[in-house]
Amino acid sequence: MDGEVHRAAASWENGTLAPVDRLRTERADSPTPGLVEGTEPGAGQKSAMFVHAQSFEDLTAETEEARKEAEGYSELGKPADSTDGIEVLMGKDTISEKQNKKEGWQDSKSKEEDVSSEAWRSHRKHVFVLSEAGKPIYTRYGTEEALSSTMGVMMALVSFVEADKNIIRSIHADGYKVVFLSKSPLVLVGVSRTSQSDKELMRELQYIYYQIVSLLTLTQLNHIFQHKQNYDLRRLLAGSEHLTDNLLHRLDRDPGLLLSAVTCLPLASSTRDVVSSSLQAAKAKSLVFSILLAGDYLVTLVRKKDQFLHHIDLHLVFNLVGSSSSFREGEGWTPICLPKFNTAGFFHAHISYLEPASDLCLILVSTDREDFFNLSECKQRFLERLSKRNAYQALKDALKSPSYSVAQVGIPELRHFLYKSKSSGLYTSPELPVVYQSEEEEERLMGLYHDLHSRLHHATRPLRSIYHCGETENLMAWVTSGFELYLCFSPLGTKALAVSAVNKLLKWIRKEEDRLFILSPLTY
Amino acid sequence: MSRKKAVKAKGSSKSPKPSPCSGRSGKGLAAAAAPSGGLVYPSRPSISNSGEFYDIAFKVMLVGDSGVGKTCLLVRFKDGAFLAGSFISTVGIDFRNKVLNIDALKVKLQIWDTAGQERFRSVTHAYYRDAHALLLLYDVTNKRSFDNIRAWLTEIHEYAQQDVVVMLLGNKADSTHDRVVKREEGEKLAKEFGVPFMETSAKSGLNVELAFTAVAKELKHRTTKEPDEPKFQLQEYVDKEMRTAGCCRS
Repeated sequence: MDGEVHRAAASWENGTLAPVDRLRTERADSPTPGLVEGTEPGAGQKSAMFVHAQSFEDLTAETEEARKEAEGYSELGKPADSTDGIEVLMGKDTISEKQNKKEGWQDSKSKEEDVSSEAWRSHRKHVFVLSEAGKPIYTRYGTEEALSSTMGVMMALVSFVEADKNIIRSIHADGYKVVFLSKSPLVLVGVSRTSQSDKELMRELQYIYYQIVSLLTLTQLNHIFQHKQNYDLRRLLAGSEHLTDNLLHRLDRDPGLLLSAVTCLPLASSTRDVVSSSLQAAKAKSLVFSILLAGDYLVTLVRKKDQFLHHIDLHLVFNLVGSSSSFREGEGWTPICLPKFNTAGFFHAHISYLEPASDLCLILVSTDREDFFNLSECKQRFLERLSKRNAYQALKDALKSPSYSVAQVGIPELRHFLYKSKSSGLYTSPELPVVYQSEEEEERLMGLYHDLHSRLHHATRPLRSIYHCGETENLMAWVTSGFELYLCFSPLGTKALAVSAVNKLLKWIRKEEDRLFILSPLTY
Repeated sequence: MSRKKAVKAKGSSKSPKPSPCSGRSGKGLAAAAAPSGGLVYPSRPSISNSGEFYDIAFKVMLVGDSGVGKTCLLVRFKDGAFLAGSFISTVGIDFRNKVLNIDALKVKLQIWDTAGQERFRSVTHAYYRDAHALLLLYDVTNKRSFDNIRAWLTEIHEYAQQDVVVMLLGNKADSTHDRVVKREEGEKLAKEFGVPFMETSAKSGLNVELAFTAVAKELKHRTTKEPDEPKFQLQEYVDKEMRTAGCCRS
């Protein structure tokens, strides 16, 4: 990479460019607005909707445990992750292990995809989930039965290192990264040929883990495996495989999962306020969260006072709704565990589209599993209020153009960007320009963003900003305590142009923030 | 497997359910007025969520193994369409309404389409007791789904109301090539447990309307019948309808 990088100074993260008090009260629109967390464009005015996330670092096990302890979360039977695990880097040993695996693959053939084939091996990213007894639970490609010996080897590796009171983190060999995540009673393994770091891969495995917990709860998982170590968990997960498949697809494509943030449907703030207050008024005793989605966009979220939704939980809800067509016609009622809220229990979600043909989907999350009819009535009340206040039509109109073109920003050399307001946990991004609309190009651009993200959030050498000149585009990334910004420019631009573009863009976002973000989230 | 265990524990020799058509008395208006499981019987027409008027409402639940075609059956009944293509598994429970005209009365069926997967069992159990009728489905091309029917009936016996109307349906009857469960086997099992039976096809539409109408008729009859009026014979009605439909079609 012939780019130029700045090392983040340790003191910088906490440094401010202006007195905090002043900035907190006056929302600056100076050239670099909001260098202080909570004042950046898109920051919520009253309080954040989400659990205050430390964004990316939030997903790494160490900080998670610390944060949970601090917030007084109680988790049942969860072993403390050892922080002194070493990264096991093996050369020769790995190759011999690989040969073992190959033998295993040849023994077993599958109907869907031959796991001994070159095609199977050449997938960019494999994900395997197994039980601590080494029983297959999930594989992204091929069938679990065909891979039982491979998974046995994986478990053997985990146990072998564990026997020495150590934890296996990853194996790097032959252009592959094999990443292990041990989350008792499950073991997750990722095998990747991408340039993603171990940390990024680990984060994706965490998502898969949370997906499984959201279907069963950790309490149930522990209970099952305590009673029967060699239980075949696929029985309980039957019919949910596509959820995991889709989540993996999203992890490659959806900037929200990369940024640990959610994007909002661009909507006039007056309309959004009516929608939010209508939802707020349609409350019930057992309601904890009311979420209105439009496809992959958040329209509004109303929560119970003092209860916060974590962006991971919200992404799991997005994934559930996006992966199932069964809510289109009727009203769905399903148990769902929001693992970042509580891994021990189920919420009960009333899920329905406002109209069968519409993209607007309402999710009412309740604590009471008997409350279906109550929530069904809440939905009716919400709809009535929405129509009475003429917001429904405005909402439907906004849905016709759920995104905006980067041309609106008025920076000719800017092709695309991702902007995340850290304090609100929301991000905004224009639609993909024509050059990136093909499947491969979209994937490539996301890959570039992934790389930038990975370098900014490097575990030992985090960066503050990156400017990278490439053959097909120039890239820039900048992280402050208030926001994260990733930009893609035409390859003909210069660094000076890019820097001035950032200022212009931040001003534009500030100007549009009440349309692009949810600035005043409501509670019941 | 858990259901198999349940069968063993209960003993499958004894019929777990009295037939909904067999001798029970005192099923008049009094029964309708009793607050049993949220039966809706308003004195004047009510409006359902979809804005349609109705006189009486009943809760009908679709149960059976995953993949036997519960959702397809419902979609065929409600929209007259067949969900071809990829398999979509229901998440939790899916609620839909349909208003039928039964003998000049508007009967609203509130239909609960349940997920067949094991992990949703506990959710569906909670809703059994409110159901007035259960349509229990198996797939004629899937022996296992048929074998599990006994376990389902045990479960129904355990969780549902005593007087719930149960009807056994062998779905996917259009798949003549893949059929592994004979019609007679279904009939035999239904007889053993004293429940009405028919084969259906969500794909061709065979008996779909009839299954729901028959259940609605039975429920309506129970609710509105005078004490001395004869009981509605569900199986007889079904047999008769199937015969007439059969000769009309050919």
